[in-house]
Amino acid sequence: MTIDVLAFATSPRRHGNSEILLDWVLAAMEEQGAAVEKIVVAEADIRPCRGCNVCETLNRCVQHDYMDYVHDRIIAADCIILASPIYCMGLAAQAKALVDRAQVFRSRKYVLRLPVVPPERKGQRVGIFLSTAGQDWDNVFDAAIPAVKCFFHVVDIRNADLRYLMVNNVDERGAIERHPTAKADAEALGREVIGHLREVLAA
Amino acid sequence: MNDPVNVLGISGSPRRHGNTETLLDALLDGAREAGADVEKIVLRQLDYGSCRGCNACHRTGVCVIKDDLTVVFEKITAADVLAVASPIYSMGITAELKGLIDRAQYFWARKFILKNLYFTDEHIRRHKGIFISTAGLGWDNVFDSAFPALTAFFNTTGFEYWDNIIANDMDRYGGIAGHPTALAEAREKGRNVVDLLRKLQAEG
Repeated sequence: MTIDVLAFATSPRRHGNSEILLDWVLAAMEEQGAAVEKIVVAEADIRPCRGCNVCETLNRCVQHDYMDYVHDRIIAADCIILASPIYCMGLAAQAKALVDRAQVFRSRKYVLRLPVVPPERKGQRVGIFLSTAGQDWDNVFDAAIPAVKCFFHVVDIRNADLRYLMVNNVDERGAIERHPTAKADAEALGREVIGHLREVLAA
Repeated sequence: MNDPVNVLGISGSPRRHGNTETLLDALLDGAREAGADVEKIVLRQLDYGSCRGCNACHRTGVCVIKDDLTVVFEKITAADVLAVASPIYSMGITAELKGLIDRAQYFWARKFILKNLYFTDEHIRRHKGIFISTAGLGWDNVFDSAFPALTAFFNTTGFEYWDNIIANDMDRYGGIAGHPTALAEAREKGRNVVDLLRKLQAEG
């Protein structure tokens, strides 16, 4: 079986540090035979949530944009990767718009009490948060993580199935290439996740 | 005769006249009662792009994007009190407000890279920032991830982070009108911050 990987590159800067980190993970996954799809969020038409709460009754979003496609891909994927730089101590606005549009899954799960993925697929999906930050502060990722967890929880990916690779102190474009361990860490993560998914999907 | 106290309210909620905007309105009403000049900006009504991460401002000190936020930042610079409001969506501020905050990068570039913008301690003491927020969930920690972005924003734009007006558990209260204290607290803090700035003006 082919592992289906859906990745969101949410940085407004193409081929910057967070996208390079993502590309390393994806290349390692492809080497392991996974099918990977990368969505460049800043170039996609994904508008912010309007807060209308209509999804609580309609079980879908009233807005029709690229999120229609993303919605179905989120349900289908075995692995979902969110890659974002840290801007002003949080996810960039583009990433936050994507996370907020997952409200439709939150309504489905917690209000309408409907399954997001079939029960047998629970524990068979992995979520990965990749992030880079220019600041060297240890706490620079802390405020982004609750929103990231929110995103993965509402699409039925548990804490135990989340992986994080966050690299601080990389500011100018390409700085991550000079980081002593980031590339090896990214490749090891890609291999580990595909190996893990093969195991749980075969079980 | 003192200068008027300028209070700028910015609503980052996509929903008009919801819990967060109503709480912001209460603060602005209080400020108006205390004699301030008050203006409210609703981000949802504006047309603006998100920061492109191009870092051009690191060289030029200005943003390459010219849109509705250009004048908003002029108004922020002219305000004595900056009241920024956002509901909590997915454990953070809305994409609309984060869009505004990320665009303030050119202030940061001017302060820390170009070093042609400097706020004195006295300036910061006379400019007060207030964060207003509501959340559906009743968790105590539901606002925690919003604070660092607001801290960064107020620091960057030269405001002292004066106070929060936050109310969680909206789902249980049936909205802000059902909350026992939040609206009255907001109104009182609106009056208080204007009185405080007048006192600082009187000190000369």
